[in-house]
Formats: sequence, C-alpha cells, structure tokens
Amino acid sequence: MNDYQINICHLYPDLLNLYGDTGNIICMKSRLERRGIKCEVTGLSVGDKLNAADFDLFFIGGGQDFEQDALLKDADQNKKADIRAAIDDEKVFLCICGGYQIMGQYYRTWDGKQLDFMGLIDFYTEGHEKRMIGNYMFECDALIALDNAAEIKADDLIVGFENHSGQTFLGEGIKPIGKVLSGYGNNEKAEYEGMHYKNVFGAYCHGPMLPKNPRFCDLLLQTALDRKYGRGTVALTELDDTLENNAHNYMVNRLSK
Amino acid sequence: MSIRVFLGVAAGKLSRHIMRLLGKGASTLPGKIGLSFCPDLLAHLAKDVRCIVVTGTNGKTTTSRMIEQTLIDSNASYFCNKSGANMMNGITTEFIMNSSLGGKAKKDFALIECDEAAFKYVSKQVDAECVVATNVFRDQLDRYGEITHTLNNIKIGLQNSVNATVCLNADCSLTASLKDEIDNPIVMYGVNLPIYKEHIKESSDAPYCIHCKHEYEYEYITFGHLGKYHCPNCGYSRPDPDIAVTDIYVSDADHSEIGITFETGKYHASVNLPGGYNIYNAVAAVTAASVMGFDVKTSIDALSTFECGFGRMEKFMLDDTETRMILIKNPAGCNQVLNFLSNINEKTLFVVCLNDNYADGTDISWIWDVDFESLQRIEDNLTGVLVSGIRADEMAMRFKYAGIPEEKIKVIKDYEKLIDEFTSQDAPVYIMPTYTAMMDLRAIVSKRFGYKNFWE
Repeated sequence: MNDYQINICHLYPDLLNLYGDTGNIICMKSRLERRGIKCEVTGLSVGDKLNAADFDLFFIGGGQDFEQDALLKDADQNKKADIRAAIDDEKVFLCICGGYQIMGQYYRTWDGKQLDFMGLIDFYTEGHEKRMIGNYMFECDALIALDNAAEIKADDLIVGFENHSGQTFLGEGIKPIGKVLSGYGNNEKAEYEGMHYKNVFGAYCHGPMLPKNPRFCDLLLQTALDRKYGRGTVALTELDDTLENNAHNYMVNRLSK
Repeated sequence: MSIRVFLGVAAGKLSRHIMRLLGKGASTLPGKIGLSFCPDLLAHLAKDVRCIVVTGTNGKTTTSRMIEQTLIDSNASYFCNKSGANMMNGITTEFIMNSSLGGKAKKDFALIECDEAAFKYVSKQVDAECVVATNVFRDQLDRYGEITHTLNNIKIGLQNSVNATVCLNADCSLTASLKDEIDNPIVMYGVNLPIYKEHIKESSDAPYCIHCKHEYEYEYITFGHLGKYHCPNCGYSRPDPDIAVTDIYVSDADHSEIGITFETGKYHASVNLPGGYNIYNAVAAVTAASVMGFDVKTSIDALSTFECGFGRMEKFMLDDTETRMILIKNPAGCNQVLNFLSNINEKTLFVVCLNDNYADGTDISWIWDVDFESLQRIEDNLTGVLVSGIRADEMAMRFKYAGIPEEKIKVIKDYEKLIDEFTSQDAPVYIMPTYTAMMDLRAIVSKRFGYKNFWE
C-alpha cells in the first residue's frame, strides 16, 4: 500500500508565491499523506532544468508583474519543452492567476503592447483598467460530471478569491472550468471561469483554491494517481472534511445570497 | 484667516462633540466634514506645526509610540493620531481638534502615523520636517496592489515632502532604494547583525534586485527580506547606516537589550517590547528623534518606558486571566509575531479572530503565507486554539493543515461566548485579531470589564 507516490513539481515557488497559493501545495501533500500515499514536492525556479518525467503533478501560482521578465526567459530556455510534453502526456496541472495566464499565447496591455507567453494552450489575456476583485464562486463541470445527477450540489461549486486586471479569452475547443455564479471569472463578458484542457486546469482562484474545495483537490489527486498507476488501482479513501466543508459552505451560503 | 478654514474647523469640532455625546469615537468623521468645507484645510492647520510623519508597511504605530515618549519626556507640546486613524480624514481630524476655531495650531509638534497609500495625498498638505519610512512588505494586496505599487506611493509622498529630512531603513532593499529618487537630506538606519539564531520559514517579499531584477545575495538576514543584501549584477547594495543597532545583548519574551551606535558614540538601550521587529522600530524612533534635534539619551531612555497598547502586545487582566492582544494584518507582521510566540515556554491558549471587512483586507488568503506550522514546536504547551471572527471556519482549517490536532481547535463565533471560554481557564491568553475584529473585541471588553474606550 505504501508504495504509491505522487511527485509534485512546484514551478517558480520563490517568484510566483502571492496570495497564499502555496496553501495548495500544503493541501495536496496533506490529503495524500493522510491516505498513506507518499508525496514529494520539488520547487524549480530560474536556472533549474525541468525534467517532466520526474513529476506527476505540476503547480504554478500567481506572482507580481515585476518578476515576469526573468521568469519568461527562463521558461523558454529550461522548461517549456518539457511542460509541453507533460501536457500531451496527460499529466495534471493546476495553474493559478499569473501562472494560468502564462500557459496561454500572450498578454496584451490596454495600449496594445504584446508580451508573448509560453503559448502551450490556445487562449490569451488582455489587460484592462478595471480590476476584478473579490470573493467569487463558479461551477466545476468536471465535478458535476462525476455525479450522474441532474441537479448541481454545493460540492460541485468552487469558491475562492479573484484579483486580476487581465481578462482571459479561450480559443476554440478550449473549455472553461465552469459557469460563474458570483463574481467575474475569465472576463467581464463570458460568465465562465478558468480553462480546462486535457488534465490542465487554470483559474484566477486564490484563497487558496484547494483547501476549501476538497472535492476538487481530490479530483486532481485521483486523476494523477489514475494516470500513473492505471484507472481503479488506487482509490482515495474518505477523509473527515468537517472543517473544510464548513469553510466551503460558509462561502457558498454567503455568495448565494 | 479664510471663512472656509473657520467653517471646516468649526464643523469638524461640532461633529466630534455630537458623536462623543452619542458614545462614538469619531476619529475620522470630523476630518471628512472639515475637508468638505475646505479641501486644503489640512495645509492651513499644519502650516505652523513641526510635523513628524511615520509611514511604511509595518511598525508605524509602535515607532510612533516610541517617538511620542521622547516628546513627553522632553516636555514638548505635541499631538498625535493615536487610534489608528491614519488616512487623510483621520489625520485631518487630529489637526482640527488641536487648532483654535481660527485655524491656529495649539501645539508645537504633530506626530503623524500615516498609511502608505494615503501618504501621497497627506504629503501634499503637510510640510513635514521629518519622515520615517520603516519598510515595505507585502500587505493587503486587494487594497494596496503589488508591493512595487506601495513603494511608488511612498516615493511620491517623499517627493512631495521637499523640506523633510528622510529616515530610511537601510536593511529593506525596497525602502533604501528610495535614496536615489529624492533630493532630501537622508539618514539611514539599520541593524548590523542577524537578530535570530533560528528564524521561521518565510518567503522573501523582495528576492530580486529592484534595479536589475537579478537575485540578491545576503551576508545575513534579520527577517523577511531585511538584512545585508547586495546585487552581484548591478552592484546595488545595502547602504551603510548612519545610526545602527550594533549589539544585541538580550532578546527574550518580554524585552530586548541592544546597543545603538551613533556618530557620537554607542548607547545601551532597553526596548520594552519583545521581538526583532521592535528592534527595528526602536532604531527608527531614535533616528527620527535625533533628526528632530531631541536629546539622544532621552530618546534612548524612552524605549524602556513607552507604552504601546492598541493591540501591540497589549496586556489586559480579564477576571484573573492574563490576556495579551496582538493585532495581525499581513504575513510579514504575523510571521514576526509567530517568531516570538513559537518560543514561549509556558502553557498558553491562542485565540485568532479573522475578519474580512475592508479595513482587514477582504482577501484572507495571506493566512496561508504565514508559518503557523511553527506552532508545532510548542504544541505541548498549547492548551488550545480558539478561532472566531467572520472567517473563523477558514482559520480553523488553516490550523488543521498547519498540523495542530483537530481536537485542540475550537470555533466560537460569538465574542461573548469566546470571552467566557478563555476567561474560565488558567493559561495566559494571546489574542490575535485582525483590525475590525480587534475593534469589536475591544468594545465588548471595555463594556464587560470596565476598560476605557480606545479614544480615551
């Protein structure tokens, strides 16, 4: 039993470490270890060469614009090719805010300047003056799909905090994570939040995203285990999620008013 | 005197009077009303006052209280904004209350604690003689935006303060970089040696050079991103401080004994608040006092006698329970509190009250940037963790993931019941509230235990 292990790659932990996003790592590690599954987290930053074969799950968080240049240059040299291979290999990615944006094609500022991003998935982001900020809530289609039920339940929803002036537009064939019920999401018009392509999830969701959305966290972990060990080999056991669900349901109730 | 100044002052004073009759603090409303009559009211009222402004992310209040003690001990005639009303309206309120109806200052000195974002506006009207910039840390990002944005606000404020001598923290690479942006006389202060033998894990808010974005190298770190840094690429480095902490003799749970070296010699100082961050506040305060021409020895002695209160390790006796209140508001400040708390050697009960109102910061994700995991070190002494406030559920979950056993974590949202709970046990209590939670708690504590209202 103890032989199962998930290796998490935390990309640019020293640069992209805003808004408590590291809580996602704390959460994934804890939820694996409490089930007797080993978890090793490796941080890779500027200058470190990524070897995608070493990892099952990738996390990349939000950061400040100030640090973006150094990061993009390094990504191009040391990481991009392997990230592309990992995506094609259906490895699991969680990408938050700035980390979400840089997986896309480019960022265009309001005065037309274009900053090229990694271009791994077909979507792009435009800078706007208006900042979209506050607690928000959206459906998660991947969780709804697990249910086989007609109605949407509270644990099909994701709650968090968005804080971005970039507005993201998805290319054809790229799905969002789900419909926004409260707040903004990807952009002012679309009414959808996030991006879901193969096993890559991108979202503006700080909070951090995973601790108070334990069902979504488990979906990521189960997907990574299934991919590594074969479907149905390792089933995640139930955990006592009383505190997690309290935090989740408090925000669902507050944002449903 | 203009009629607008008179109207502004009169309306401000009247509104304070009415609000106090209603039992309200009214620490910002008079200023707001006064400014609505006379938009440059503050400039008129501050004209003949010698102003000291303290700004920066952390340490404003404590540094101000230390400077205040020097003013008291020097028999200076002064006023200050004490109750945390540190934006335009709150600061204007204090000036109104300390002016005659004709707008003439009643005191010689004003000691102003100023919010970093408000500083660029306040500085347009207040012609400060001395400005202290303590540090720039990541703070409520929903209000202030990115850290470089905060730095820019302070820069604009300093550029407005053309007649001020500026005291800058040499150990903060962000704050110290302001030296090249202003023409003012500058006095640098800093700490010339590492403070902690072991410090908790925290990520740096400024790992990359402000000028060229290359990674800094450090000879030592005091905490956070503070320390002796230099950039191997462009050569930007920590300036040598003019006034520096050169010795740390004792640093225990109640106080620190330090040596502070001036051009004129070294002084032994006893700082009556614990923690490395208060060592920085102390050297900032004596630097400001020396810039203002106060006797150095008086400012050194003030460090051992000043009282801070207002949620800075503030002590209450509630029935027989020894209670200390420590305001928490951002990861850097909270990590410094934990640096201190995780070294406590006696049975202790912790209380955290987490609100997400505007004044607290609506984004509470920062609690995940705080090393609550360090409390595992004192788990045997930790009798329990009580959590309260609007976002109590989130805080409870954070403690769970920090490795605190779930049976020790208790959510009590009702403040009366919360106080019942911790006053009915024996261990000393450390309460860590966010700003509005602290205000709510104080109101209940003063009513129930007869403590004064905060404005008294």
